[in-house]
Amino acid sequence: MELFLQSIINSFIQGGFFALWAVGLVLVFGVMGVVNFAHGELVMVGAYTIWLLHSQYGMGYIPALGMAILLVLLIGLFMERFLFRPKREDPLGGLINSIGVLFILQVAALIVGGTGPAKQVAPPFSGTLIIEEIVRVPYQRLFSIAVCIAALSLLWFFLTKTKLGWSLRAVALDREAAALQGININRTSMIAIGVSGALAGLAGALMAPISNIYPHMGHNVIITAFIVTIVGGIGSLPGAVFASVLYAFLHTFITAYFSGTIATMSGLLIMVLVLIVKPTGIMGRRISE
Amino acid sequence: MLLELQNVHVHYNKIAALQGVSIQVEEGDFITLIGSNGAGKSTTLRAISGLEKPSSGEISFRDQAIHHLTPDRILKLGIAQVPEGRRIFKDLTVEENLQLGAFTRSDKVAVRRDLDAVFGHFPRLLERRNQLGRTLSGGEQQMLSIGRALMSDPTLLLLDEPSLGLAPIVVEEIAKILCDINGKGVAIVLVEQNADLALELARHGYVLETGSIALQGDADSLARNEHVKTAYLGI
Ligand SMILES: Nc1ncnc2c1ncn2[C@@H]1O[C@H](COP(=O)(O)OP(=O)(O)OP(=O)(O)O)[C@@H](O)[C@H]1O
Ligand SMILES: [Mg+2]
Repeated sequence: MELFLQSIINSFIQGGFFALWAVGLVLVFGVMGVVNFAHGELVMVGAYTIWLLHSQYGMGYIPALGMAILLVLLIGLFMERFLFRPKREDPLGGLINSIGVLFILQVAALIVGGTGPAKQVAPPFSGTLIIEEIVRVPYQRLFSIAVCIAALSLLWFFLTKTKLGWSLRAVALDREAAALQGININRTSMIAIGVSGALAGLAGALMAPISNIYPHMGHNVIITAFIVTIVGGIGSLPGAVFASVLYAFLHTFITAYFSGTIATMSGLLIMVLVLIVKPTGIMGRRISE
Repeated sequence: MLLELQNVHVHYNKIAALQGVSIQVEEGDFITLIGSNGAGKSTTLRAISGLEKPSSGEISFRDQAIHHLTPDRILKLGIAQVPEGRRIFKDLTVEENLQLGAFTRSDKVAVRRDLDAVFGHFPRLLERRNQLGRTLSGGEQQMLSIGRALMSDPTLLLLDEPSLGLAPIVVEEIAKILCDINGKGVAIVLVEQNADLALELARHGYVLETGSIALQGDADSLARNEHVKTAYLGI
Protein backbone atom coordinates (compact mmCIF):
# COMPACT_ATOMS: atom_id res chain seq x y z
CA MET A 1 0.00 0.00 0.00
CA GLU A 2 2.78 2.40 0.90
CA LEU A 3 4.65 1.55 -2.26
CA PHE A 4 1.43 2.00 -4.21
CA LEU A 5 0.67 5.49 -2.85
CA GLN A 6 4.28 6.53 -3.15
CA SER A 7 4.30 5.36 -6.75
CA ILE A 8 1.25 7.46 -7.58
CA ILE A 9 2.99 10.59 -6.31
CA ASN A 10 6.19 9.68 -8.13
CA SER A 11 4.22 9.10 -11.33
CA PHE A 12 2.90 12.63 -11.34
CA ILE A 13 6.38 14.06 -10.80
CA GLN A 14 7.79 11.86 -13.57
CA GLY A 15 4.88 12.77 -15.82
CA GLY A 16 5.69 16.46 -15.41
CA PHE A 17 9.26 15.87 -16.55
CA PHE A 18 8.22 13.64 -19.44
CA ALA A 19 5.79 16.31 -20.61
CA LEU A 20 8.42 19.03 -20.31
CA TRP A 21 10.82 16.96 -22.44
CA ALA A 22 8.21 16.07 -25.02
CA VAL A 23 6.50 19.42 -25.66
CA GLY A 24 9.74 21.01 -26.83
CA LEU A 25 10.30 18.20 -29.30
CA VAL A 26 6.70 18.42 -30.52
CA LEU A 27 6.86 22.20 -30.91
CA VAL A 28 9.96 22.11 -33.07
CA PHE A 29 8.66 19.21 -35.11
CA GLY A 30 5.29 20.88 -35.60
CA VAL A 31 6.50 24.34 -36.55
CA MET A 32 9.75 23.52 -38.32
CA GLY A 33 9.16 19.97 -39.52
CA VAL A 34 12.49 18.79 -38.06
CA VAL A 35 13.02 15.95 -35.64
CA ASN A 36 15.57 17.43 -33.27
CA PHE A 37 17.62 14.45 -32.15
CA ALA A 38 19.74 16.73 -29.98
CA HIS A 39 16.77 17.60 -27.78
CA GLY A 40 17.95 15.22 -25.04
CA GLU A 41 21.40 16.81 -25.15
CA LEU A 42 19.81 20.23 -24.70
CA VAL A 43 18.32 18.92 -21.45
CA MET A 44 21.74 17.54 -20.52
CA VAL A 45 23.34 20.95 -21.10
CA GLY A 46 20.75 22.44 -18.74
CA ALA A 47 21.74 19.95 -16.03
CA TYR A 48 25.47 20.53 -16.58
CA THR A 49 24.95 24.28 -16.30
CA ILE A 50 23.55 23.79 -12.80
CA TRP A 51 26.40 21.48 -11.85
CA LEU A 52 28.99 23.94 -13.13
CA LEU A 53 27.52 27.24 -11.94
CA HIS A 54 25.76 26.11 -8.77
CA SER A 55 27.91 23.23 -7.46
CA GLN A 56 31.30 24.27 -8.79
CA TYR A 57 31.16 28.05 -8.79
CA GLY A 58 28.64 28.56 -6.00
CA MET A 59 26.09 30.59 -7.90
CA GLY A 60 22.62 30.47 -6.33
CA TYR A 61 20.36 27.71 -7.65
CA ILE A 62 17.69 30.02 -9.04
CA PRO A 63 20.12 32.33 -10.92
CA ALA A 64 21.89 29.21 -12.24
CA LEU A 65 18.51 27.89 -13.38
CA GLY A 66 17.97 31.15 -15.25
CA MET A 67 21.40 30.79 -16.87
CA ALA A 68 20.61 27.21 -17.90
CA ILE A 69 17.41 28.35 -19.60
CA LEU A 70 19.22 31.20 -21.33
CA LEU A 71 22.16 29.11 -22.50
CA VAL A 72 20.03 26.32 -23.97
CA LEU A 73 17.69 28.85 -25.56
CA LEU A 74 20.70 30.42 -27.29
CA ILE A 75 21.95 27.03 -28.48
CA GLY A 76 18.46 26.43 -29.89
CA LEU A 77 18.47 29.76 -31.75
CA PHE A 78 21.90 28.97 -33.14
CA MET A 79 20.70 25.58 -34.38
CA GLU A 80 17.68 27.11 -36.10
CA ARG A 81 19.64 29.85 -37.79
CA PHE A 82 22.64 27.87 -38.98
CA LEU A 83 21.59 24.21 -39.10
CA PHE A 84 17.85 23.93 -39.65
CA ARG A 85 17.04 27.02 -41.72
CA PRO A 86 19.37 26.10 -44.60
CA LYS A 87 17.75 22.63 -44.60
CA ARG A 88 14.14 23.79 -44.43
CA GLU A 89 13.13 22.00 -47.62
CA ASP A 90 15.06 18.92 -46.54
CA PRO A 91 13.82 17.46 -43.22
CA LEU A 92 16.30 14.58 -43.42
CA GLY A 93 19.17 17.09 -43.69
CA GLY A 94 17.87 18.88 -40.60
CA LEU A 95 17.67 15.60 -38.72
CA ILE A 96 21.26 14.69 -39.65
CA ASN A 97 22.47 18.13 -38.57
CA SER A 98 20.74 17.65 -35.23
CA ILE A 99 22.56 14.34 -34.74
CA GLY A 100 25.79 16.25 -35.32
CA VAL A 101 24.84 18.65 -32.54
CA LEU A 102 24.04 15.67 -30.31
CA PHE A 103 27.64 14.39 -30.56
CA ILE A 104 29.18 17.84 -30.26
CA LEU A 105 27.28 18.57 -27.05
CA GLN A 106 28.22 15.19 -25.58
CA VAL A 107 31.87 15.86 -26.29
CA ALA A 108 31.52 19.36 -24.86
CA ALA A 109 30.08 17.85 -21.67
CA LEU A 110 33.07 15.52 -21.42
CA ILE A 111 35.45 18.42 -21.85
CA VAL A 112 33.71 20.56 -19.24
CA GLY A 113 32.96 17.82 -16.71
CA GLY A 114 35.70 15.32 -17.45
CA THR A 115 35.26 11.56 -17.28
CA GLY A 116 34.66 9.65 -14.10
CA PRO A 117 31.50 8.93 -12.14
CA ALA A 118 28.24 10.71 -12.80
CA LYS A 119 27.97 14.09 -11.16
CA GLN A 120 25.49 15.00 -8.50
CA VAL A 121 24.18 18.27 -7.22
CA ALA A 122 23.10 18.63 -3.60
CA PRO A 123 19.41 19.58 -3.56
CA PRO A 124 19.09 23.28 -2.75
CA PHE A 125 15.69 22.64 -1.20
CA SER A 126 16.29 20.19 1.61
CA GLY A 127 13.76 18.39 3.73
CA THR A 128 10.89 16.09 2.95
CA LEU A 129 7.16 16.48 3.10
CA ILE A 130 5.81 13.49 5.03
CA ILE A 131 2.11 12.75 4.84
CA GLU A 132 0.74 10.42 7.53
CA GLU A 133 4.06 8.57 7.72
CA ILE A 134 3.10 6.89 4.44
CA VAL A 135 4.05 9.12 1.55
CA ARG A 136 7.30 11.04 1.40
CA VAL A 137 7.97 13.79 -1.10
CA PRO A 138 11.25 15.67 -0.92
CA TYR A 139 10.70 19.44 -1.19
CA GLN A 140 13.07 19.47 -4.16
CA ARG A 141 10.62 17.29 -6.09
CA LEU A 142 7.66 19.37 -5.01
CA PHE A 143 9.46 22.42 -6.33
CA SER A 144 10.15 20.64 -9.63
CA ILE A 145 6.59 19.54 -10.20
CA ALA A 146 5.26 23.00 -9.34
CA VAL A 147 7.63 24.63 -11.84
CA CYS A 148 6.79 21.97 -14.47
CA ILE A 149 3.09 22.64 -14.12
CA ALA A 150 3.64 26.40 -14.18
CA ALA A 151 5.77 26.18 -17.32
CA LEU A 152 3.31 23.92 -19.13
CA SER A 153 0.38 26.16 -18.17
CA LEU A 154 2.26 29.20 -19.45
CA LEU A 155 2.95 27.41 -22.72
CA TRP A 156 -0.71 26.43 -23.01
CA PHE A 157 -1.77 30.02 -22.37
CA PHE A 158 0.70 31.29 -24.96
CA LEU A 159 -0.43 28.87 -27.65
CA THR A 160 -4.17 29.16 -27.14
CA LYS A 161 -4.74 32.74 -25.96
CA THR A 162 -2.23 34.93 -27.75
CA LYS A 163 -2.07 35.92 -31.39
CA LEU A 164 1.62 35.03 -31.51
CA GLY A 165 0.74 31.57 -30.17
CA TRP A 166 -1.93 31.15 -32.83
CA SER A 167 0.65 32.07 -35.45
CA LEU A 168 2.87 29.20 -34.26
CA ARG A 169 -0.02 26.78 -34.54
CA ALA A 170 -0.91 28.21 -37.95
CA VAL A 171 2.62 27.57 -39.23
CA ALA A 172 2.45 24.02 -37.85
CA LEU A 173 -0.89 23.43 -39.61
CA ASP A 174 -0.05 24.97 -42.99
CA ARG A 175 3.20 26.82 -43.49
CA GLU A 176 2.31 28.38 -46.85
CA ALA A 177 -1.12 29.52 -45.76
CA ALA A 178 0.51 31.03 -42.68
CA ALA A 179 3.05 32.89 -44.82
CA LEU A 180 0.15 34.28 -46.86
CA GLN A 181 -1.20 35.87 -43.66
CA GLY A 182 1.99 37.83 -43.24
CA ILE A 183 3.51 35.44 -40.71
CA ASN A 184 7.29 35.43 -41.00
CA ILE A 185 8.38 31.79 -41.06
CA ASN A 186 11.96 32.46 -39.93
CA ARG A 187 10.81 34.48 -36.96
CA THR A 188 8.20 31.86 -36.02
CA SER A 189 10.81 29.09 -36.21
CA MET A 190 13.06 31.12 -33.92
CA ILE A 191 10.24 31.47 -31.41
CA ALA A 192 9.44 27.75 -31.57
CA ILE A 193 13.00 26.60 -31.01
CA GLY A 194 13.55 29.34 -28.43
CA VAL A 195 10.62 28.08 -26.39
CA SER A 196 11.69 24.48 -26.95
CA GLY A 197 15.24 25.28 -25.83
CA ALA A 198 14.08 27.23 -22.80
CA LEU A 199 11.90 24.30 -21.71
CA ALA A 200 14.76 21.83 -22.28
CA GLY A 201 17.13 24.02 -20.25
CA LEU A 202 14.56 24.31 -17.51
CA ALA A 203 13.97 20.54 -17.48
CA GLY A 204 17.71 19.90 -17.19
CA ALA A 205 18.06 22.45 -14.41
CA LEU A 206 15.18 20.89 -12.49
CA MET A 207 16.59 17.39 -12.97
CA ALA A 208 20.11 18.30 -11.86
CA PRO A 209 19.54 18.03 -8.08
CA ILE A 210 17.51 14.82 -8.30
CA SER A 211 19.28 12.71 -10.89
CA ASN A 212 22.70 11.68 -12.10
CA ILE A 213 24.41 14.06 -14.48
CA TYR A 214 26.51 12.52 -17.24
CA PRO A 215 27.15 13.19 -20.94
CA HIS A 216 24.73 10.51 -22.19
CA MET A 217 21.80 11.38 -19.96
CA GLY A 218 19.98 12.76 -23.02
CA HIS A 219 19.36 9.25 -24.37
CA ASN A 220 16.71 8.53 -21.82
CA VAL A 221 15.16 11.93 -22.50
CA ILE A 222 14.89 11.48 -26.25
CA ILE A 223 13.59 7.90 -26.02
CA THR A 224 10.91 8.93 -23.56
CA ALA A 225 10.02 12.00 -25.60
CA PHE A 226 9.65 9.85 -28.73
CA ILE A 227 7.47 7.33 -26.92
CA VAL A 228 5.08 9.92 -25.54
CA THR A 229 4.89 12.02 -28.71
CA ILE A 230 4.13 8.97 -30.83
CA VAL A 231 1.64 7.55 -28.35
CA GLY A 232 0.06 10.98 -27.87
CA GLY A 233 -0.20 11.70 -31.57
CA ILE A 234 2.69 13.35 -33.38
CA GLY A 235 2.20 17.08 -33.41
CA SER A 236 -0.44 17.12 -30.70
CA LEU A 237 0.73 18.97 -27.57
CA PRO A 238 -2.25 17.97 -25.37
CA GLY A 239 -1.74 14.40 -26.62
CA ALA A 240 1.93 14.50 -25.61
CA VAL A 241 1.12 15.81 -22.13
CA PHE A 242 -1.63 13.24 -21.62
CA ALA A 243 0.60 10.41 -22.86
CA SER A 244 3.39 11.68 -20.59
CA VAL A 245 1.28 11.22 -17.49
CA LEU A 246 0.02 7.80 -18.66
CA TYR A 247 3.51 6.62 -19.51
CA ALA A 248 4.89 8.00 -16.25
CA PHE A 249 2.36 5.87 -14.35
CA LEU A 250 3.26 2.80 -16.35
CA HIS A 251 6.97 3.47 -16.01
CA THR A 252 6.90 4.23 -12.30
CA PHE A 253 4.79 1.22 -11.40
CA ILE A 254 6.75 -1.24 -13.51
CA THR A 255 9.98 0.20 -12.11
CA ALA A 256 8.65 -0.09 -8.56
CA TYR A 257 7.42 -3.66 -8.89
CA PHE A 258 9.83 -5.00 -11.54
CA SER A 259 12.69 -2.95 -12.98
CA GLY A 260 13.50 0.22 -14.87
CA THR A 261 14.72 -1.66 -17.93
CA ILE A 262 11.46 -3.60 -18.22
CA ALA A 263 9.61 -0.30 -17.83
CA THR A 264 11.41 1.34 -20.73
CA MET A 265 11.05 -1.76 -22.88
CA SER A 266 7.31 -1.79 -22.23
CA GLY A 267 7.19 1.85 -23.33
CA LEU A 268 8.95 1.05 -26.59
CA LEU A 269 6.63 -1.91 -27.11
CA ILE A 270 3.58 0.32 -26.64
CA MET A 271 5.06 2.84 -29.06
CA VAL A 272 5.48 0.15 -31.72
CA LEU A 273 1.95 -1.13 -31.08
CA VAL A 274 0.55 2.39 -31.47
CA LEU A 275 2.51 2.83 -34.70
CA ILE A 276 0.98 -0.38 -36.06
CA VAL A 277 -2.57 -0.03 -34.76
CA LYS A 278 -3.18 3.72 -34.72
CA PRO A 279 -0.26 5.59 -36.30
CA THR A 280 -1.92 8.93 -35.62
CA GLY A 281 -1.64 8.34 -31.85
CA ILE A 282 -4.38 8.57 -29.28
CA MET A 283 -5.05 12.26 -29.88
CA GLY A 284 -3.57 12.82 -33.31
CA ARG A 285 -5.50 13.48 -36.48
CA ARG A 286 -4.93 12.13 -39.91
CA ILE A 287 -2.64 14.44 -41.82
CA SER A 288 -4.58 14.23 -45.08
CA GLU A 289 -8.30 14.73 -45.50
CA MET B 1 -0.21 50.84 -62.34
CA LEU B 2 -1.08 48.81 -59.23
CA LEU B 3 0.36 45.47 -60.25
CA GLU B 4 2.42 44.59 -63.26
CA LEU B 5 3.89 41.27 -64.37
CA GLN B 6 6.43 41.61 -67.15
CA ASN B 7 7.48 38.53 -69.06
CA VAL B 8 7.42 36.32 -65.96
CA HIS B 9 8.85 32.80 -66.19
CA VAL B 10 8.47 30.24 -63.40
CA HIS B 11 10.05 26.79 -63.38
CA TYR B 12 9.30 23.82 -61.14
CA ASN B 13 12.67 22.09 -61.07
CA LYS B 14 13.46 22.22 -64.80
CA ILE B 15 9.88 22.24 -66.08
CA ALA B 16 8.47 25.59 -67.19
CA ALA B 17 5.07 26.40 -65.70
CA LEU B 18 4.99 30.04 -66.83
CA GLN B 19 6.74 31.11 -70.01
CA GLY B 20 6.57 34.86 -70.26
CA VAL B 21 3.38 36.06 -68.61
CA SER B 22 2.59 39.79 -68.67
CA ILE B 23 -0.41 41.13 -66.79
CA GLN B 24 -1.47 44.61 -65.74
CA VAL B 25 -3.87 45.55 -62.97
CA GLU B 26 -4.97 49.14 -62.32
CA GLU B 27 -6.03 50.54 -58.95
CA GLY B 28 -9.53 49.26 -58.15
CA ASP B 29 -9.52 47.02 -61.22
CA PHE B 30 -11.29 43.65 -61.48
CA ILE B 31 -9.50 41.24 -63.77
CA THR B 32 -9.85 37.54 -64.32
CA LEU B 33 -7.41 34.88 -65.38
CA ILE B 34 -9.06 31.91 -67.05
CA GLY B 35 -7.53 28.74 -68.39
CA SER B 36 -7.83 24.99 -68.21
CA ASN B 37 -6.15 22.55 -65.80
CA GLY B 38 -2.42 23.03 -65.57
CA ALA B 39 -2.39 26.25 -67.60
CA GLY B 40 -0.43 28.05 -64.87
CA LYS B 41 -3.14 30.10 -63.16
CA SER B 42 -2.21 29.10 -59.61
CA THR B 43 1.47 29.46 -60.42
CA THR B 44 0.82 33.05 -61.51
CA LEU B 45 -0.89 33.91 -58.21
CA ARG B 46 1.77 32.05 -56.23
CA ALA B 47 4.46 34.06 -57.97
CA ILE B 48 2.69 37.33 -57.17
CA SER B 49 2.44 36.37 -53.48
CA GLY B 50 6.08 35.32 -53.33
CA LEU B 51 5.44 31.59 -52.87
CA GLU B 52 7.34 30.91 -56.11
CA LYS B 53 10.35 32.86 -57.33
CA PRO B 54 10.31 33.77 -61.04
CA SER B 55 13.33 32.49 -62.93
CA SER B 56 13.13 35.62 -65.05
CA GLY B 57 10.87 38.58 -65.60
CA GLU B 58 9.65 41.19 -63.17
CA ILE B 59 6.68 41.67 -60.85
CA SER B 60 6.08 45.14 -59.50
CA PHE B 61 3.51 46.63 -57.18
CA ARG B 62 3.02 50.38 -57.45
CA ASP B 63 6.26 50.52 -59.44
CA GLN B 64 8.26 48.73 -56.75
CA ALA B 65 9.80 45.37 -57.68
CA ILE B 66 8.41 42.68 -55.37
CA HIS B 67 9.46 39.37 -56.92
CA HIS B 68 12.42 38.99 -54.57
CA LEU B 69 10.35 39.57 -51.40
CA THR B 70 9.08 36.89 -49.01
CA PRO B 71 5.31 36.24 -48.79
CA ASP B 72 4.94 38.01 -45.44
CA ARG B 73 6.45 41.22 -46.81
CA ILE B 74 4.28 41.09 -49.92
CA LEU B 75 1.20 40.71 -47.73
CA LYS B 76 2.27 43.78 -45.78
CA LEU B 77 2.40 45.80 -49.00
CA GLY B 78 -1.32 45.10 -49.42
CA ILE B 79 -1.59 41.95 -51.55
CA ALA B 80 -3.70 39.20 -49.98
CA GLN B 81 -4.45 35.80 -51.46
CA VAL B 82 -7.32 33.36 -51.09
CA PRO B 83 -5.36 30.26 -52.08
CA GLU B 84 -6.48 27.29 -54.11
CA GLY B 85 -8.22 24.77 -51.87
CA ARG B 86 -9.09 27.43 -49.23
CA ARG B 87 -6.27 26.43 -46.87
CA ILE B 88 -7.97 27.62 -43.70
CA PHE B 89 -6.41 26.61 -40.37
CA LYS B 90 -8.66 23.69 -39.52
CA ASP B 91 -7.63 23.24 -35.90
CA LEU B 92 -8.14 26.91 -35.10
CA THR B 93 -11.49 28.56 -34.52
CA VAL B 94 -13.21 30.78 -37.07
CA GLU B 95 -12.32 33.87 -35.08
CA GLU B 96 -8.69 32.81 -34.62
CA ASN B 97 -8.46 32.27 -38.39
CA LEU B 98 -9.80 35.76 -39.01
CA GLN B 99 -7.52 37.33 -36.40
CA LEU B 100 -4.53 35.68 -38.08
CA GLY B 101 -5.59 37.36 -41.32
CA ALA B 102 -4.89 40.60 -39.45
CA PHE B 103 -1.64 39.23 -37.99
CA THR B 104 0.53 42.12 -39.19
CA ARG B 105 -1.86 44.87 -38.11
CA SER B 106 -1.55 46.60 -34.76
CA ASP B 107 -4.46 49.05 -34.90
CA LYS B 108 -6.96 47.15 -32.73
CA VAL B 109 -9.86 49.50 -33.45
CA ALA B 110 -9.53 49.17 -37.22
CA VAL B 111 -9.13 45.39 -36.95
CA ARG B 112 -12.27 45.21 -34.83
CA ARG B 113 -14.13 47.24 -37.46
CA ASP B 114 -12.93 44.97 -40.28
CA LEU B 115 -13.91 41.90 -38.27
CA ASP B 116 -17.41 43.28 -37.96
CA ALA B 117 -17.41 44.02 -41.70
CA VAL B 118 -16.42 40.39 -42.48
CA PHE B 119 -19.18 39.13 -40.18
CA GLY B 120 -21.49 41.53 -42.03
CA HIS B 121 -20.54 39.96 -45.37
CA PHE B 122 -20.74 36.43 -43.96
CA PRO B 123 -23.26 36.20 -41.12
CA ARG B 124 -22.74 32.43 -40.99
CA LEU B 125 -19.17 32.99 -39.84
CA LEU B 126 -20.49 35.06 -36.96
CA GLU B 127 -22.75 32.21 -35.88
CA ARG B 128 -19.79 29.86 -36.00
CA ARG B 129 -17.09 32.17 -34.66
CA ASN B 130 -16.02 29.79 -31.87
CA GLN B 131 -16.18 26.60 -33.94
CA LEU B 132 -13.07 24.91 -35.31
CA GLY B 133 -12.41 25.47 -39.00
CA ARG B 134 -12.70 21.76 -39.73
CA THR B 135 -16.37 21.73 -38.69
CA LEU B 136 -17.37 24.20 -41.43
CA SER B 137 -18.98 23.18 -44.72
CA GLY B 138 -17.06 23.71 -47.97
CA GLY B 139 -18.89 26.96 -48.68
CA GLU B 140 -18.30 28.26 -45.19
CA GLN B 141 -14.62 27.38 -45.42
CA GLN B 142 -14.40 29.38 -48.64
CA MET B 143 -16.10 32.31 -46.91
CA LEU B 144 -13.64 32.01 -44.07
CA SER B 145 -10.72 31.98 -46.47
CA ILE B 146 -12.04 35.12 -48.16
CA GLY B 147 -12.81 36.75 -44.80
CA ARG B 148 -9.30 35.94 -43.57
CA ALA B 149 -7.76 37.60 -46.63
CA LEU B 150 -9.97 40.68 -46.15
CA MET B 151 -8.78 40.98 -42.54
CA SER B 152 -5.41 42.19 -43.82
CA ASP B 153 -7.23 45.20 -45.34
CA PRO B 154 -5.72 44.56 -48.78
CA THR B 155 -5.44 46.88 -51.76
CA LEU B 156 -5.28 43.87 -54.07
CA LEU B 157 -7.10 40.60 -53.51
CA LEU B 158 -6.03 37.46 -55.39
CA LEU B 159 -8.55 34.60 -55.48
CA ASP B 160 -7.73 31.12 -56.78
CA GLU B 161 -10.86 29.29 -57.96
CA PRO B 162 -13.15 30.34 -55.13
CA SER B 163 -16.19 28.73 -56.78
CA LEU B 164 -14.65 25.25 -57.06
CA GLY B 165 -16.90 22.54 -55.64
CA LEU B 166 -19.52 24.91 -54.26
CA ALA B 167 -23.28 24.83 -54.76
CA PRO B 168 -24.54 27.42 -57.32
CA ILE B 169 -26.36 29.37 -54.63
CA VAL B 170 -23.15 29.73 -52.59
CA VAL B 171 -21.28 30.77 -55.73
CA GLU B 172 -23.88 33.50 -56.28
CA GLU B 173 -23.41 34.70 -52.73
CA ILE B 174 -19.64 34.84 -53.07
CA ALA B 175 -19.90 36.58 -56.47
CA LYS B 176 -22.05 39.29 -54.94
CA ILE B 177 -19.60 39.84 -52.13
CA LEU B 178 -16.68 40.11 -54.57
CA CYS B 179 -18.58 42.88 -56.36
CA ASP B 180 -19.17 44.64 -53.03
CA ILE B 181 -15.51 44.39 -52.11
CA ASN B 182 -14.43 45.68 -55.51
CA GLY B 183 -17.00 48.48 -55.15
CA LYS B 184 -15.14 49.60 -52.04
CA GLY B 185 -12.00 50.09 -54.10
CA VAL B 186 -10.18 46.79 -53.58
CA ALA B 187 -8.63 45.57 -56.84
CA ILE B 188 -9.34 41.90 -57.60
CA VAL B 189 -7.57 39.23 -59.63
CA LEU B 190 -9.92 36.28 -59.93
CA VAL B 191 -8.61 32.94 -61.20
CA GLU B 192 -11.38 30.71 -62.48
CA GLN B 193 -12.16 27.69 -64.59
CA ASN B 194 -15.78 28.81 -64.38
CA ALA B 195 -15.31 31.30 -67.23
CA ASP B 196 -18.99 32.29 -67.48
CA LEU B 197 -19.02 33.66 -63.98
CA ALA B 198 -15.53 35.18 -64.16
CA LEU B 199 -16.16 37.09 -67.38
CA GLU B 200 -19.45 38.34 -66.00
CA LEU B 201 -17.82 39.75 -62.88
CA ALA B 202 -14.54 41.09 -64.22
CA ARG B 203 -13.79 44.10 -66.39
CA HIS B 204 -10.75 42.62 -68.13
CA GLY B 205 -9.74 39.07 -68.79
CA TYR B 206 -6.63 37.08 -69.64
CA VAL B 207 -6.71 33.61 -71.14
CA LEU B 208 -3.79 31.49 -70.02
CA GLU B 209 -2.76 28.46 -72.11
CA THR B 210 0.23 26.27 -71.21
CA GLY B 211 2.05 28.98 -69.35
CA SER B 212 1.52 31.97 -71.59
CA ILE B 213 -1.20 34.50 -72.30
CA ALA B 214 -3.11 33.38 -75.39
CA LEU B 215 -5.72 36.15 -75.39
CA GLN B 216 -6.58 39.24 -73.43
CA GLY B 217 -9.11 42.05 -73.53
CA ASP B 218 -12.39 43.40 -72.18
CA ALA B 219 -14.40 40.77 -70.39
CA ASP B 220 -17.33 41.45 -72.74
CA SER B 221 -15.33 41.01 -75.91
CA LEU B 222 -13.65 37.87 -74.54
CA ALA B 223 -17.06 36.43 -73.75
CA ARG B 224 -18.02 36.94 -77.42
CA ASN B 225 -14.74 35.54 -78.76
CA GLU B 226 -15.24 32.32 -80.75
CA HIS B 227 -12.17 30.58 -79.32
CA VAL B 228 -13.14 31.44 -75.76
CA LYS B 229 -16.71 30.32 -76.40
CA THR B 230 -15.72 26.89 -77.65
CA ALA B 231 -12.82 26.28 -75.27
CA TYR B 232 -14.05 27.80 -72.02
CA LEU B 233 -17.71 28.73 -72.09
CA GLY B 234 -19.09 25.40 -73.19
CA ILE B 235 -21.65 26.99 -75.48
N1 LIG C 1 4.83 21.89 -57.10
C1 LIG C 1 4.92 21.58 -58.40
N2 LIG C 1 5.92 20.81 -58.86
C2 LIG C 1 6.02 20.50 -60.17
N3 LIG C 1 5.18 20.93 -61.10
C3 LIG C 1 4.15 21.69 -60.71
C4 LIG C 1 3.96 22.06 -59.34
N4 LIG C 1 2.86 22.83 -59.27
C5 LIG C 1 2.37 22.93 -60.51
N5 LIG C 1 3.15 22.26 -61.39
C6 LIG C 1 2.94 22.19 -62.86
O1 LIG C 1 2.93 23.50 -63.36
C7 LIG C 1 1.93 23.67 -64.33
C8 LIG C 1 0.98 24.79 -63.94
O2 LIG C 1 0.29 24.43 -62.74
P1 LIG C 1 -0.77 25.36 -62.03
O3 LIG C 1 -1.08 24.73 -60.74
O4 LIG C 1 -0.27 26.74 -62.01
O5 LIG C 1 -2.01 25.25 -63.02
P2 LIG C 1 -3.49 25.78 -62.82
O6 LIG C 1 -3.78 26.58 -64.03
O7 LIG C 1 -3.64 26.44 -61.53
O8 LIG C 1 -4.31 24.43 -62.87
P3 LIG C 1 -5.65 24.02 -62.09
O9 LIG C 1 -6.78 24.61 -62.83
O10 LIG C 1 -5.66 22.54 -62.17
O11 LIG C 1 -5.54 24.53 -60.70
C9 LIG C 1 1.24 22.33 -64.45
O12 LIG C 1 1.78 21.65 -65.57
C10 LIG C 1 1.59 21.61 -63.18
O13 LIG C 1 1.65 20.23 -63.41
MG1 LIG D 1 -4.73 26.00 -59.87
